[in-house]
Amino acid sequence: MKRMTGLAIALLLLVSTVSVGAQNVQKPLEITFWSLFTGGDGEFFDAMVKEFNASQNEIVMKTDTVKFDNYYTKLTAALAARTAPDVVVMHQDRLSTFVPSGVLLPLDAYAQRAGIDLSTFEQAPLNNCKIDNKLYAIPLDVHPIIMYCNLDLFAKAGITKLPETLSELFTAAETIQKKTGAEGIAADNTTATYKAYTLTRMFLSMLMEQGVSVFNADNTKANFNNDAGVKAYQALSDMVNKYKVTPKGLDYDSSVADFRLGKAGIHFNGVWVTGLFEQQPGLNFIAVKFPALFGTNAAWAGSHTFAIPAQKSIDEKKVMGAMKFIDWMTNHGYLWAKAGHVPTRKTAVDTKEFKSLPHRADYADAAKYVFPTPPTSKWPQCYDTISDSLEESIALNRDAKTALTRMEQTINEILKK
Amino acid sequence: MKKPFDILGKLFIALLIVLWLAPLIWLVITSLKSENTVMSDTLSLVFTPTIENYRKAFASTLLGRWMLNSLTVAVVTTILTVLIDSAMAYVLARIPFRGRKALFIFILAGMMIPFEVLIIQLYLEFTTLGLANTLAAVILPRLALPIGVFILTQFFRSIPLVLEEAAFIDGASRFTVFRTIILPLSKSAVFAVAIIAFINAWNDFLWPLVAISSSEKYTITVGIANFQGTHGTEYSLIMAGALLASVPQIIMYLLFRKNIVKSIAMTGIKE
Amino acid sequence: MLLHDADHKKRDILFFSLPYLTVYVAFMVFPVVYGFYLSFFDWNILSTKVFVGLKNYVEAFSDPEFLSSFFHTIQFVVISTPLIIVVGFIMALIAVRPTKTGRISETVFFLPYMLSTSVVGTLWAWIFQKNYGLANQLLKSVGLSPLGWLTDPSIAMTSIIIATLWWTAGFNMILFSAGMKQIPEEIYDAAKIDGAGSFTTLTKITIPLLRDTSLLVLVLQIIASFKVFGQVYVMTGGGPYGTTRVLVQYVYKTGFSYFRLGYASAMSILLFMVILLVSVIQFLRKPDETQ
Repeated sequence: MKRMTGLAIALLLLVSTVSVGAQNVQKPLEITFWSLFTGGDGEFFDAMVKEFNASQNEIVMKTDTVKFDNYYTKLTAALAARTAPDVVVMHQDRLSTFVPSGVLLPLDAYAQRAGIDLSTFEQAPLNNCKIDNKLYAIPLDVHPIIMYCNLDLFAKAGITKLPETLSELFTAAETIQKKTGAEGIAADNTTATYKAYTLTRMFLSMLMEQGVSVFNADNTKANFNNDAGVKAYQALSDMVNKYKVTPKGLDYDSSVADFRLGKAGIHFNGVWVTGLFEQQPGLNFIAVKFPALFGTNAAWAGSHTFAIPAQKSIDEKKVMGAMKFIDWMTNHGYLWAKAGHVPTRKTAVDTKEFKSLPHRADYADAAKYVFPTPPTSKWPQCYDTISDSLEESIALNRDAKTALTRMEQTINEILKK
Repeated sequence: MKKPFDILGKLFIALLIVLWLAPLIWLVITSLKSENTVMSDTLSLVFTPTIENYRKAFASTLLGRWMLNSLTVAVVTTILTVLIDSAMAYVLARIPFRGRKALFIFILAGMMIPFEVLIIQLYLEFTTLGLANTLAAVILPRLALPIGVFILTQFFRSIPLVLEEAAFIDGASRFTVFRTIILPLSKSAVFAVAIIAFINAWNDFLWPLVAISSSEKYTITVGIANFQGTHGTEYSLIMAGALLASVPQIIMYLLFRKNIVKSIAMTGIKE
Repeated sequence: MLLHDADHKKRDILFFSLPYLTVYVAFMVFPVVYGFYLSFFDWNILSTKVFVGLKNYVEAFSDPEFLSSFFHTIQFVVISTPLIIVVGFIMALIAVRPTKTGRISETVFFLPYMLSTSVVGTLWAWIFQKNYGLANQLLKSVGLSPLGWLTDPSIAMTSIIIATLWWTAGFNMILFSAGMKQIPEEIYDAAKIDGAGSFTTLTKITIPLLRDTSLLVLVLQIIASFKVFGQVYVMTGGGPYGTTRVLVQYVYKTGFSYFRLGYASAMSILLFMVILLVSVIQFLRKPDETQ
């Protein structure tokens, strides 16, 4: 009987400590978050957020993922209605669309309060997030366009050196096509689920290599109807029309699938497919910087950033929670690098985790020279229009002058409005 | 003389049926293949079927949730549409007043409004109402179904007046008459409107795409479109998702085929 | 008319019609009016509205993308409408017969109509996929060279029309066969006695007597075709280089990707006016329905 009482008391004590303990644990702060990562890199991102949630118990990130082509639609509407979530992912090139309307919070003061040391960031991508000297977003990554080569097909075609110039590129592609029957260069040039953005990215890269920016200094006029533009356009058109090393009518998804399944020797795309290709059994490939086709190395690169929408009333606790999340995510950029992206923070690059990843070192310094997005709210529309225009002119095999004059007219018309 | 034509005719019919079934069969076949089999250069009709795609479709999406959302939207829309539209039709068919003809035209004019062009304004409206990103936002704009009012009005007019007059003499209210005489006598028309409302609601794409922003509130049509975008060229997986999304409609069709066909027919002919 | 009429009439009219009129006005009439209002402004959703008069309308008529989208829409309407109607009519001739074949045909032909736009678009995008799709696999297996169904601008619109035909012909079949069932059997019997063949019966009896149905089908089909969007959005995204971009898609893009809401509204109003014009034909033809 006594033993029973003792047991009962012990049980009671145990229960009460447990319940006291439970009371002491605070309910974690729930922070809402929108991201646009689907497909290839989506899995890596979700895993990262999960790891952040597990790493601490103050904050729980509630993520919603929206497909890229609907993402900004929903985000803009939500920003206008002041119903946006606490943190959002945003491409750096979209900032100038939103910042002038005052829908994003300047982050300088918050970053300081959260103890984020901004000097640990690569300065080029960080500076790209500043408008009128105020920081409106914090860069998570830089994602340049790079070149992927299928090493087995290169070996089969007897090519021992990766192409570094324009003529080497076309020769390699032609040889692969002749000797292996595979596609020379898988680069999308037709709209399907996505526009033929690779054409635009290559075009912009080639302009940069020649030291020419896409618009004039005050972003009021196109600046590609010149020698540099002609050279860049001609290279793209030759790839499809003259050397026929890229199949006409290839769309983005198919170009990725072709390279992934070993049916293409060379593939141009952003770094974001690296992780996807690594998961493909039997694909022996290398990922290298966009070649210096016109002398100097330069490449188009986008940048994913985190921004904090202005709410009807600012909840400091949530903003600080969000900053903590951003700090963690950028510091753990080596996890994100698994998808292929280049981290923006030296603290993430200087880790053994990052250094143990293959391929990344070959293109990691791309973070130093990001594409300087023209700071105009018209940029997204121009980017789309350039894609449509290049796609059309190349499909119709227009000569460079005609193609560029047409494109110039359309772009100037948009910039004028 | 007649025979060769007969055979030709039968062949033609058979061909048409095959043509119409082929895409669906291709859908089923693809969904049962592995990705590598799908991405082969030849037409592989002999293969080892796998249900891996179905498992993956369920595991990597909120498919079950989206179906439930679609079902909720479709059922609620159907019930409310029938109630609201039949009440309106009752006025137009049975209560004479000045301006009734004008009101009827005003309502029928709604048939001409392409819903697609209202999307932006609707979005702004629902944001102002604070109802953006709710299932209510998907449901509300679908309730006024002019074709439904049209079908019901035509049908109500065909019901003999005697029945109601007797009830009115007994002191019944219009509501009672509507509920106990008109509606029960109009089962086929009500069912027709219900079917049209259900199909419309289930297949609605553009408006839910815009109105809903969080994935757990997607309807199946939006979810599937998103799913396709996410998986690029994983066709076998995409087809499995598409097929799963269509199962409820196909079941409904096979169960209610006659009624569905009749309800479509009603949009075309006067009773 | 009714004994009951005098009392509560007003109250009852309100009671019965208020729910419908509320949702109708709030979610259909108001957006149209509001869109009309917005079409005179320059507005990007985040900025303040600036009144610009008719500028948006003027812009539409000089905007090559609007004009080409409008042209593609007309192209779609003009090619798809007769095709879908004729195929629907042929299907009705098959399905209207009270035989097993008739019943099976009806079931099969209408089945695609039950599927949603996104499923239909996804399925056909796959069938027309360049390297591994069914269409090109079949072409290759009989020794023909594969086609760029969705990537060749000269046939991409045709591919979209084929998918639409498969999807919606069954709807017209139902309308036609309903009309056919209303033609009294005696007329056919009389014709048979007169020795008329089946072709004569078709051209002299069935088709003329289906005039009303045909007009209805025509108008419904034209209206539906003008509103084409979902299958294009899923199958080609408007490509290759905008050659299949249709009006609703351009409105959607202008409004929701570039946030030029005033301009998007102006284009919506133009589309609405075109559809209104087509619909008026139907109402002029059938004044008796609005009594």
